[in-house]
Amino acid sequence: MARALKVLGKRTRRLDAEAKVTGALVYPSDKAPDDMLWLAVVRSPHPHARVLGVDCAAAEAVPGVVRVATARDVPGENAFGIAIQDQPVLCGERVRYQGDAVAVVAAESLRAARAGAAAVRVDYEPLEPVVEPEAAMRPDSPALHPGGNILHQGHFTKGDVAEGFRQSHVVVEREYDLPMMEHAYLETEAGVSFYDELGRLTVDSCGQYVYRDQTQIARALGLPLERVRAIGAHVGGAFGGKDEITVQIHLALMTHLTGRPCKLVLTREESILFSTKRHATRVRYKTGCSRDGRLLAVEARFVADTGAYASLGGPVLNLMLEHVAGPYRVPHVKVDGFAVYTNNGFAGAFRGFGCTQACVGIESQMDLMARAIRMDPLAFRLKNALQTGDRAALDYEMKTAVGAAATIRSAQKGKLWRGRAAWRKDLRKVPAALRPHVKRGLGVASQMQGMGLGIGLPDYCEVALELGPAGDCTLRASTSEFGQGAYTAYAAMLAERLDVPMERVRIVGGDTGLAPDSGTTTASRTTYAVGNALLMACERLEAELGRLAAERLGWPAGPARLRAGREPRVQGAGGQAALAGLLGQTPLEVRATYHIPVAEVELGDGLPHLLYSYGTHVAGVEVDTLTGEITVQAVEAHLDGGQVILRTGFEGQSEGGVAQGIGYALFEAVEFERGRCLTTNFNTYVLPTSLDVPTAIRTVPVVVREPTGPWGAKGISETCMVGVTPAILNALEDALGVRFTRLPVRAEAVLRALAEQAPGGRAGARTRRKGS
Amino acid sequence: MAVSVNLKLNGAACRFEVEPDERLVETVREKAGLTGTKLGCGVGECGACSVLLDGKLVCACLVLAAQADGCEVFTVEGLAPGGRLSDLQRAFVEEGAVQCGYCTPGMLMAAEALLRRHKRPTGEQIRQGLAGNLCRCTGYTKIVAAVRKVAKRRAARGGRR
Repeated sequence: MARALKVLGKRTRRLDAEAKVTGALVYPSDKAPDDMLWLAVVRSPHPHARVLGVDCAAAEAVPGVVRVATARDVPGENAFGIAIQDQPVLCGERVRYQGDAVAVVAAESLRAARAGAAAVRVDYEPLEPVVEPEAAMRPDSPALHPGGNILHQGHFTKGDVAEGFRQSHVVVEREYDLPMMEHAYLETEAGVSFYDELGRLTVDSCGQYVYRDQTQIARALGLPLERVRAIGAHVGGAFGGKDEITVQIHLALMTHLTGRPCKLVLTREESILFSTKRHATRVRYKTGCSRDGRLLAVEARFVADTGAYASLGGPVLNLMLEHVAGPYRVPHVKVDGFAVYTNNGFAGAFRGFGCTQACVGIESQMDLMARAIRMDPLAFRLKNALQTGDRAALDYEMKTAVGAAATIRSAQKGKLWRGRAAWRKDLRKVPAALRPHVKRGLGVASQMQGMGLGIGLPDYCEVALELGPAGDCTLRASTSEFGQGAYTAYAAMLAERLDVPMERVRIVGGDTGLAPDSGTTTASRTTYAVGNALLMACERLEAELGRLAAERLGWPAGPARLRAGREPRVQGAGGQAALAGLLGQTPLEVRATYHIPVAEVELGDGLPHLLYSYGTHVAGVEVDTLTGEITVQAVEAHLDGGQVILRTGFEGQSEGGVAQGIGYALFEAVEFERGRCLTTNFNTYVLPTSLDVPTAIRTVPVVVREPTGPWGAKGISETCMVGVTPAILNALEDALGVRFTRLPVRAEAVLRALAEQAPGGRAGARTRRKGS
Repeated sequence: MAVSVNLKLNGAACRFEVEPDERLVETVREKAGLTGTKLGCGVGECGACSVLLDGKLVCACLVLAAQADGCEVFTVEGLAPGGRLSDLQRAFVEEGAVQCGYCTPGMLMAAEALLRRHKRPTGEQIRQGLAGNLCRCTGYTKIVAAVRKVAKRRAARGGRR
């Protein structure tokens, strides 16, 4: 891009910030249509049980209760699920996790709805819960679904790992135990339903893809698509956790049955019990490298606990497999993975989407190998970093811009890494008496993250762009805004491309009734996909302006550009003319559809991706060896998102990603005991606070332009989180000489590990070195 | 049995008929229609429902409406009377302290309370003052920066806004 950018990469303010700081923005949980009924859902208290009967008589007698619905009231297909529809809208025969819905109560008040829900009598026959994924895979395990308990499995080989290990100077083998993680968006799942002015059954809620919500609602209600409208624009956080159906079908069902508007807001307990989570995963890695630091072999096995239903468990496992070797070149690979049904809650999409689990594994291994051959961990990573033209772990060619090496080099030049020797010793802020007991360490991790849905899945993005006679622009794109700043990014891109000030741009999003299908708001794809679609739309708009100018003003053929100003003008082959004069009263609308480019090879199940974003994180930790307390003191994020669209938004995403990475490393785990969830609110599921996240987070944009991206941009919304966790684990080994392989690493684990490490303790090494 | 409760809500005298077990957050959101105050967890852990009750920062999910009888309740809607943003709100906008925004109203109330407590807060005091409010999007960095900016500005003006 030769021309200097006017808008992009600057500290642009969010379009919605003012409405959010005044409390004026209306979220799904704030909506309240006139004459609405409140809903409450009856959920299974059992992780696994047969439903013998549901008696609604007492509930129907509760004053204020208007309607109680059970499985037999679902008029269409009583099932939902993004990939496979294996979850009942309301369970009629069997419940498979604590939180599974059995009935919905509609009442005149929330109190009456809850009283009604408490009065629904469900006769359960509890069944033995299936809680161990390894055991669940065996043929003698009770099957949770007709096809058995293995939802999905994948196996890939490249080269010959046995040969790779024979050639290796060092072979490292470890098993990592990664917990289930809750998204913990601050707004729980919520929404309202009603018949709109065209008589469409409308659900205004919190989904991440309104067009798919529309399909899922219509299927369950047995209605044609055009009779259903789904809305979901401004939402209080999602992170993948609102990708699957949550409240939508229950809302639609009750409006369908009562004819009245309805409202449903999940309690935090319900939200944690019911919604999808990050897969708890057992990860086994064996990796080998040469004496001079060439990565030679990666062998891995993933067993992901997908919980009760499919949702996106298959695709999440696929991304684990695809990212098994991280952003590194390796000749020999063998990877096996299983996504397994159990009665432990329900897993699905979550920021990182499987890359997270693979990244903890491979990045821990990379550090262990670097340590064993006494090589600098960043130098070791750089030596093996993938380049364009290399063959990736699953044996396809890396075709587009690969930013792995650039982010590693950026980290090497960063303040934290360059000053590492001094940083480790800097205990000035620690009281003198404690200093002998406080250890500091630095760790690094690199990461790549597939962008978009991968090959074989429809991945298109349609937008509509309207230009009014006064020079105001409206972009209609159905993606949602849950905090990432997407709508502001769209406005900034439009302002950059057309000569339109940002304040004259309006974004209409998340509504099947108003905006064309722009695809899912997931997979780090929206800025890239909508950006490309809007660029196509802008080109069409200019062609249309030129055509109109030729037709109405007699200009020679050719496109005409917009020129901003108090009275916007168009400029083209015939000179300049007032926009208002050219358009008259009628706004000009164009549409465009962009298809995310895909790889040339197809490995099945959406694999592989063509596009990836890259990142390298450096984390500095301080550990009090007396209490076991870990504090993350500093993080540097070197992120390759190509051209930065919004500088403040880029940093903000990164800083939020750091906090979530800290949570995954040190705090968070959804815990179960025989399928029963023990952590159902924020008093037991503990999140990082302002005291747990360092103020010293530095985000460095590493601009490796993606040739297919809008201005060379790609997404960073996942890369910014995934590498943080292993960087912290690597920093802990640097500080303590202890390798933690089980998350989260809490103070108790630190104290236990230090006790084992002490003389007489039983710390074991599992690194084999040739000749030793 | 409903109970009558008198509140001075963002400066205006209001009267509500409430249930004996009704929490202040319900009254504010459902009866007064002030949905700027959010409900995030219902157990006083997330701070999304933070309001000032007679000048004291509280979780409105942990206070019964009846307990607030005769009290002054100050919510996010009270920060910008007449639509003019307060210095804190402006700083949140300028610094990019807002992402999904669901924690923002509570965060603003906590920030307001801490700035009333500490005229010249240290970084540590700011982080302490916000530690009862969870944010899942921002990593807190820009929120802390926004509060620091306001603290400096107010100090420079001798405590005036």
